[in-house]
Amino acid sequence: MSSKLSLSRLLAAVVVAGLLLFARSTVAAPAALAYEAVLPAELASDPDLCKHVPCGSVIPGADRFSLRKGRPPYVEAFASEGDRERLVGYVFLSTDIVDIPAYSGKPIVTLIGMDTKGVITGVRVLKHSEPILLLGIPEEKLVAFVNQYLGKVVGSKIEVGKGHDSEEVIGLDAISGATVTVIAENQVIMRSAMIVARQVGIMKPPERPPVQYTDVPPLADWEAMRKEGAVQRLTVRSEDVGVAPVPGKPYIDIWFGYLNAPTIGKAVLGEQNYRRLMDELKPGEHAIFLIADGIESFKGSGFVRGGIFDRIQVAQELDTYTFRDLDYQNLYSVKVPGVPYYRESSIFIIRDAGFAPAYPWNLVFLANKLDKATGNREFVNFTREFWLPDRYLVGGRPHYERPLAAWEKVWRARALEIAAFALLLIAAGVVYALRDRLVRAATHKDKTPVSAPKYALWGFSIAFAGFYLMAQPSITQVLTWFHSVLFKWEWELFLSDPFIFLFWWFIIITVFFWGRGMFCGWLCPYGALTEMSHKIAGYLGLKRFQRQLPAKVHDKLKWTKYWIFVGLLCVSFYSMSLAEVLAEIEPFKTTFLVGVWNRSWPFVVFWLVIFAACLIVERFFCKYLCPLGAALAIPSTFRWWGLKRKNECGPCTACQSGCESIAIDDGGRIDQRECMLCLDCMVLYYDEHACPPLAKERKQRTRAGQPLTAIAGNGYYIPLVQVPATPAKEEAFVPTAPIAAARAEGFLARVYGEIKDHLLPWNRQVFKQPLFLQAAGIALAVLVTWVWLLGAAGKLGPGVILGWWLAWSAYEVITRMSCKPFVKDGPWWDNNFRPASWADMVAYVGFKNLLIGAGFMLFLKAVGALAFLHGIPELRWLY
Amino acid sequence: MDTKKTEVQAATPEDQGRRKFLNSAAVTGLAGAGLSLGLTACNKEAPAPAAGGAAPAAAAPAPKAAAHGKHDVAPGQLDDYYAFSSGGHSGDVRIYGYPSGRQLKKIPVFNTDCMIGWGVTNESKAIIGTKPNGQLKYTTGDTHHVHMSYKDGIYDGKWIFVNDKIHGRIARVRMDTMECDKITELPNIMGFHGIFPDKRDPVDQAINHTTRVFCGAEFHIPLPNDGRDLTDPTKYGCLFSCVDAATMEVRWQCRVDGNMDLVATSYDGKLAAANQYNTEGGAVYAEMMSSEHDACLFFNVERIEAAVKAGKFVTIGSSKVPVVDGTKKNNADPKTALVCYVPVPKNPHGVNISPDGKYYVCSGKLSPTASVIAHEKVLKWFAGELKEAREAVVGEPEIGLGPLHTGFDNKGNAYTTLFLDSQIVKWNVEAAIKAFGGDKNAKVVIDRIDVHYQPGHGFTSMGETKEPDGKYFISDNKFSKDRLLPVGPLHAETAQLIDISGEKMVLVHEHTTVPEPHDSIIVRRDIVKTRQVYDLAEFPHGIKSLDESRVERKGNKVTIHLGSQAPQFGLLEWKVKKGDEVTIILTNLDKVEDLTHGFAIPKYDINFIVSPQETKSVTFIADKPGVYWCYCTHFCHALHLEMRSRMLVEA
Repeated sequence: MSSKLSLSRLLAAVVVAGLLLFARSTVAAPAALAYEAVLPAELASDPDLCKHVPCGSVIPGADRFSLRKGRPPYVEAFASEGDRERLVGYVFLSTDIVDIPAYSGKPIVTLIGMDTKGVITGVRVLKHSEPILLLGIPEEKLVAFVNQYLGKVVGSKIEVGKGHDSEEVIGLDAISGATVTVIAENQVIMRSAMIVARQVGIMKPPERPPVQYTDVPPLADWEAMRKEGAVQRLTVRSEDVGVAPVPGKPYIDIWFGYLNAPTIGKAVLGEQNYRRLMDELKPGEHAIFLIADGIESFKGSGFVRGGIFDRIQVAQELDTYTFRDLDYQNLYSVKVPGVPYYRESSIFIIRDAGFAPAYPWNLVFLANKLDKATGNREFVNFTREFWLPDRYLVGGRPHYERPLAAWEKVWRARALEIAAFALLLIAAGVVYALRDRLVRAATHKDKTPVSAPKYALWGFSIAFAGFYLMAQPSITQVLTWFHSVLFKWEWELFLSDPFIFLFWWFIIITVFFWGRGMFCGWLCPYGALTEMSHKIAGYLGLKRFQRQLPAKVHDKLKWTKYWIFVGLLCVSFYSMSLAEVLAEIEPFKTTFLVGVWNRSWPFVVFWLVIFAACLIVERFFCKYLCPLGAALAIPSTFRWWGLKRKNECGPCTACQSGCESIAIDDGGRIDQRECMLCLDCMVLYYDEHACPPLAKERKQRTRAGQPLTAIAGNGYYIPLVQVPATPAKEEAFVPTAPIAAARAEGFLARVYGEIKDHLLPWNRQVFKQPLFLQAAGIALAVLVTWVWLLGAAGKLGPGVILGWWLAWSAYEVITRMSCKPFVKDGPWWDNNFRPASWADMVAYVGFKNLLIGAGFMLFLKAVGALAFLHGIPELRWLY
Repeated sequence: MDTKKTEVQAATPEDQGRRKFLNSAAVTGLAGAGLSLGLTACNKEAPAPAAGGAAPAAAAPAPKAAAHGKHDVAPGQLDDYYAFSSGGHSGDVRIYGYPSGRQLKKIPVFNTDCMIGWGVTNESKAIIGTKPNGQLKYTTGDTHHVHMSYKDGIYDGKWIFVNDKIHGRIARVRMDTMECDKITELPNIMGFHGIFPDKRDPVDQAINHTTRVFCGAEFHIPLPNDGRDLTDPTKYGCLFSCVDAATMEVRWQCRVDGNMDLVATSYDGKLAAANQYNTEGGAVYAEMMSSEHDACLFFNVERIEAAVKAGKFVTIGSSKVPVVDGTKKNNADPKTALVCYVPVPKNPHGVNISPDGKYYVCSGKLSPTASVIAHEKVLKWFAGELKEAREAVVGEPEIGLGPLHTGFDNKGNAYTTLFLDSQIVKWNVEAAIKAFGGDKNAKVVIDRIDVHYQPGHGFTSMGETKEPDGKYFISDNKFSKDRLLPVGPLHAETAQLIDISGEKMVLVHEHTTVPEPHDSIIVRRDIVKTRQVYDLAEFPHGIKSLDESRVERKGNKVTIHLGSQAPQFGLLEWKVKKGDEVTIILTNLDKVEDLTHGFAIPKYDINFIVSPQETKSVTFIADKPGVYWCYCTHFCHALHLEMRSRMLVEA
């Protein structure tokens, strides 16, 4: 086995290394790329913005630039006219103004120029981290995209996608395959420009009718106010900002509310102080109050130096209101019964007529998050919405349409396509679920009942899912999932591409139902493309060149894809970006997302080689290289419903020889990890002329003049003699002898048995091992537990967690192979086991431990045990 | 626990003995030798220091230790109360935070202050008053009592008023900036001591806020005091003054028999009261103590103002202020009388009105009693329904030796400082009235607590309003002796915070005061609302931006318009000629809270500060040629030391 593995491993290493070199060279080639460009550190803080970035390039004609001014900051651009100079416009840096992450989760740092009338004069992307633009889509496309803004007036309704073009909406050409990126960038440009335009007076904040408050009598206590939404709570936990928690105290726990509304104001301040505060406020000024407890302060000390409170803001749609020291007042007491304990209390005044108290607004707490692994600090915002209760407003809450999240916009904009795609997926599922009928209708000679729907699905998949929707799943998504499961789950990330999102739900479900063949063999656009091309090529006369690799070679080479997958996974823990570069081993991007004609020659050559190989060897890429297939193959080990087999399948090699996936071994067993579910063997299974045992019986019966009864589910004619009291269920034959596991009856006993079986790799067998091995096993178990505790306490980086996961899994695989050398076969709720091969065991242990680890972490988090663990001083000595 | 108790009990008699010794020593010190005659009342009561009877002070040497944490103000937390305190002959007003006792500010009023530039800047000089040559008229002052303006019987956070006993001036401090904005000199009086704003208009009850301030005068002087009658004290007189709170003009004065010490005002605005210790009109203290009874005076504000309106007044000397006659001789008929003289035991000190507005408590000082005078009865006297003014006294409990000032809680109890006993006594006003009516079972004195030492004024939180909260009592003590680290012969004084929320008084802590506070008020923090920065628009002569900094010359008058913005002044240098009259107008253009700049000119004796958005000016003759580095004296910026400019005086 070792020689078998090493061959494939070597191949994988060569492939990966080659790609790495190749990727490096192509990345390094063009100089002006903005991908992960290194920007000067002072850029964020230096008052002289234009010292660091080419301000002149976004506002033609300007030759002098002011220092950063205003809040949020912008720069004034001047042009000399003789000895005088004239203000010609403004330049601003997007990250100074808005915090909108793009697909990568990081912002696109953009420099924007705008003239004094609010016309955009220039847009320049200084830095982005979008992986798709690294290798997939040429960056010039992004440049072309942002250039569409030139000449557009700030405040226009500009949306991505030509489909939106109408009288009030200007449509922009999107970049195919980078929808999320351009939607984010559109928001970045439009919002930044709007905020600066408002600040410099080009645009007026939206006028809203003055608010009239009802004078509902104040509520009885704090709880009643909370229930009504008269006060809101914003809690930030220590874990959210990466600091050591203090037991029983959150990082900060803020309660807040809007004081101008008399019902709230009088309750909180008391009649007299409310009157006085209202008398003090000028028209268009608004008071809010904050009370807080916790280990941190919402005031901080920033306002001492600069006069500005740098930890809290109020945000309403595009507007952000910051508070100066002069907007702060002492809040001496909160007169509501049952008010929570607080350490800090303040009144803040919003001095801006643009603030609309009748509409929702957000309190924003700005924190500095420390990434323990890297020691880097990043800014994170925590927000909590406040909307005055309906009955506090004369006429109730005004109609308000919330701006949609980027992902939501995509879902709405493409609702029709999403429905069509969902239909395609459902159709595929239904077709496969009805396979028994199809294969019975088909014969070895005429497989049309199976091929027709399959080819139709292929067609849709290639044209619609692949080329039109560009919804080709990729190994990068698996890597992202993997990281998300282990570290942080963000729905938005996955929702941002609806087709991929739906595709993945389909994949997850079908992999566990039937195995990965449902996706790989029936719906993968690239797989379908290559197999279709293979078939067409054969039809066009290449048939004589087409062949399979000898089974012996195949059995060695098939492991290559697994090693590629493992390699990518490991690299991803080192650098996700690098893993994404290496994922170019998938020709998917070149095929569907970008187009072969759009790529540089090395990609074209690679793509051609792979494609040519696929024309000769059916699904060459799928069989030997595809890391996505490998990733899906691992859980396929546990597909619940397999294909049917007969007693005779062992010695009989009829299907084996016809199996294009070379997935049937000499014992007649189907390797579900390799099987593409082409159903050829199932057609044979029911074909009384092609399936040797069935044909034999047919001949016998014909010879004996017996009637040919219908073929039962077990693949044989229904017996002529009625066997009394046969089980109602037709037991299909399983070629691998199942292990009869004696199991306790009763629900609890079964659950206990399951838990014991999955968690403990040992049984009595372990004591038959040498003492040294036993000791080593115990030591490893102790070590792993300890490291696990550290990991749970957040004291270990992801690398180490992954390390122990791998180490433990390796130990468990070996232990199980000597103690419990079997894995479950079929649905998990049944009790069928089969003897495990090493591959089975690796797949089982690896996948199971991933689920257990993620599930356990989530459980601990949910019940608050993680916070508890973090806070135990007795554990501190451990780290 | 038990042993401790025994120790405490054992210590008590000894302690009382010590106090007795102290008492007589202090009385001697106070009364002087050979004046035992005047002290008969004292001597009679001396063997019974626990005059209140059944409740002896549970006086352990170490005061009952409070659960201190409850009264602690943690770092970063704010005090619950402001206390505004007079500075005595320091001439200033101080602000403390309570319960911490942290001093927050000293407001220069009658004194000068080289940090702020009070007495240096043109603006402050105009308020303090100058001689024709531009120098300050007075540089000394003696503040005794600070009182805040009222609205609806509660402090309104608008102004505080304070007296200057030395020069007979009244000053007003505006509460939004906590700076003195007006000083008025009262004519024809000397020894201006008691001061109290009224709470309501006596006629128009809709005006339920302060419009007048009443001022008592202690010292008899010739009227006018222009050199006449120097040696004939019988011709001396004392005037009670009424000052308009808004304009700070003197509205009227009222001549009385005897003198006036402390002042109180009723909640309905009808009466102003002043205790009197020199009914005799004596010139030396032996004469002042000759009569068995002195008096508490009640001024009928409505009648006095009607008299002024009717032209029944005189003016004295060059003063235009109408003076009405409140002497006994001319006020014989209560129905027309302007002033009611209620006899109280000799040489009283302090008059305070209870929060319910019903009673005045006038302390005995040389008598161990406090006289409880019913407001209603005094009004009846003015209506002619009482035979004798003394009938207005409805209670006169014996509470201890040397009672001076009384504060009130929200449960009908009074807290009186006992100067000689060095105690605070807690007594019940209604019980005192019952006892006076003959109820032998009335338990008047509830508790006593030692303070250290010799309390002067004492005051309760919000006790001078109709919303007392009964939380704290502060005893401002006149002697500290061994209580503090010695700092030379002049000691700091102690102020002691007492928790009065329970049945027993508990000493919470003590802090120091620099000599010598007299009276204070304790004001709930939410009542006071100060400004954070000034408003540029209030200073028309200031500049609006640093670019406007400039030098203007008219003849030999040079005006420097200067801005300050951390860390620079608007001009790096300016030139003047020797002999020029230079006016520097400095505007602080920073708009950040707490970013104050200072401005000092070496050798020209100039230093002052400008708070954010504030403008101030100084004028001086440039009589010394040379280079003078004008620099910022108030730390403002990391480059504070670099913040300077040069005044070049050409020879």
